[in-house]
Amino acid sequence: MGFQRQLEELEARQRAARAMGGPDKLARRAEQGHLDARARLDVLLDAGSFREVGLLATSVVPQDRDRTPADGKVSGFGRIDGRRVAVVSNDLTVKGASSSATNAKKIAYVKDTATRSGMPVVFLGESSGARIPDVMGAQAMSQGGADPQQYCRRRETPWVSAVLGPCFGSSTWYTCLSDFVVMRKGAVLAVSSARVTALAIGETVDPEELGGWRLHAEVTGLADAVVETDEQALALVRRFLSYLPGHAGEAPPVAEAPAEDPAAADRLLELVPVERSKVYDIRKVIGAVVDPDSFLPVKERFGRAAVTGLARLAGRSVGIVATNPMIRGGALDPAACRKVTSFLALCDSFHIPIVMLVDTPGFLVGVEGERKAAPAQIMNMMHALQLCSVPKISVILRKSYGQAFLNLGGGRNSNESAAWTTADVSFMDPQIGVSVVLGIRREDDPEAFEAARGQLTRGTSAYDMAQVFGVQTVLDPRDTRAFLIEALATHAAARGGGLGRRELSAWPTYI
Amino acid sequence: MREIVVEAEIAGTVWKIETAVGEAVEEEGILMILESMKMEIPVLAPEAGTLAAITVAEGDTVREGQPLATLTVG
Repeated sequence: MGFQRQLEELEARQRAARAMGGPDKLARRAEQGHLDARARLDVLLDAGSFREVGLLATSVVPQDRDRTPADGKVSGFGRIDGRRVAVVSNDLTVKGASSSATNAKKIAYVKDTATRSGMPVVFLGESSGARIPDVMGAQAMSQGGADPQQYCRRRETPWVSAVLGPCFGSSTWYTCLSDFVVMRKGAVLAVSSARVTALAIGETVDPEELGGWRLHAEVTGLADAVVETDEQALALVRRFLSYLPGHAGEAPPVAEAPAEDPAAADRLLELVPVERSKVYDIRKVIGAVVDPDSFLPVKERFGRAAVTGLARLAGRSVGIVATNPMIRGGALDPAACRKVTSFLALCDSFHIPIVMLVDTPGFLVGVEGERKAAPAQIMNMMHALQLCSVPKISVILRKSYGQAFLNLGGGRNSNESAAWTTADVSFMDPQIGVSVVLGIRREDDPEAFEAARGQLTRGTSAYDMAQVFGVQTVLDPRDTRAFLIEALATHAAARGGGLGRRELSAWPTYI
Repeated sequence: MREIVVEAEIAGTVWKIETAVGEAVEEEGILMILESMKMEIPVLAPEAGTLAAITVAEGDTVREGQPLATLTVG
């Protein structure tokens, strides 16, 4: 057989490439409990579905050719729950998965193919940054930047990033451009490593402080979810994609609708106190309204007065935007506004209807908020909501005050809205109104104060709203789920095949 | 072992202290309740731990960002 030597050579080259950075480095990783770049793909993708491109790619630098298997970035295509996805899995055991001329071409190829063919891209991030010495000097720098669209995000298809180790350079940039980011505890995401940063600024830097999970889950909001292990991160990537279409030209997939559970509806009467002074955890209310176990929180630890996440109603994907009275009474601060805005961009880009569950005393006022540009964040959120062309349904559970009423779907800012019998809607509390408009404080002149309060007090109930068609329905709380399922079907934009205009598709992935 | 200072997320009045110094709390366990905007707003433990100190008393007025308690974790 004339091909025998040829085939042996091919096999030997493939075997060497699949050996990654060699047994010693792989063993050290395994001891730390972290999967290697190829094992991660085995966990992420449907069994046997991975088809690699660029297995035999290597560094362009002659002396590095034999020690750069796949040039440090494993790339290709596979399937998740039977649907096609594109993947880039960084291999830290090969030159720290540093960016090079060859692997930049691999990433570009995978991204371009995914965009053209309509499949999500999954980045498994762990990379040290640009490869030195390849990038040193003006001539090397001049070779970069060949693609003026490299970092454009029009959300033609979903991008998901798992931060699974030290992420600097390429992995960091693609994480920031992704629609969903899951971070494993112990991983670090920053512009450059603690070591490089320390050398540059002449101070010791703690990696966790520089780019650990707490920073990104709680302070920057870059991490949408945090997990303990590689396996959990990869499972979450799969789960996130299950709510999304493969590309922006189709509607999200529909799961089987669960059997209705009247006990969950009854629970709503227990979960929400009728007394205005009592708070409760809106996440429990969400759990009782959506399909069982279908709620996937997004940015749970960031801007917590708002709760955002994907869920299903009768099997159909929805984006939940809610306020949580448990946190600051549900008053939205700038971080909460940013969180909602970024979530609206995700939903609008991928045809996911929005369900708003509202119980808020308004926007949080104070010096701290103003320093963080609260008015601009409030308007960004409002602007995003008005650009959203997916169906928007709002339910007012109790309070909805002031501008926040509009920002959470009040008036024509949702396709349909309903009020629970406990709803209480106004511009501001009449007591504060008296002091603002008439300059009278209760402690100074109780009699005049009470008289003035009587003049400013207006009907604030669900029935007051319903009489002027300010809401379309007043709800028994137990009917919330049934109302939402029907309202979403009513406003399903069937003429456009359930597809919206996607005006938020180029809204920045980080705001 | 680390110490975390728990700060007020909102201005208000300390209405009720719910956890005593030395007691263990779960993540999101209620340390105390502030009265603000006519609501009873809980101050939650950011992580599971033991309450090491309380730096306010019931009835105190607190501003946003003011330290309320110290939690020992890890």
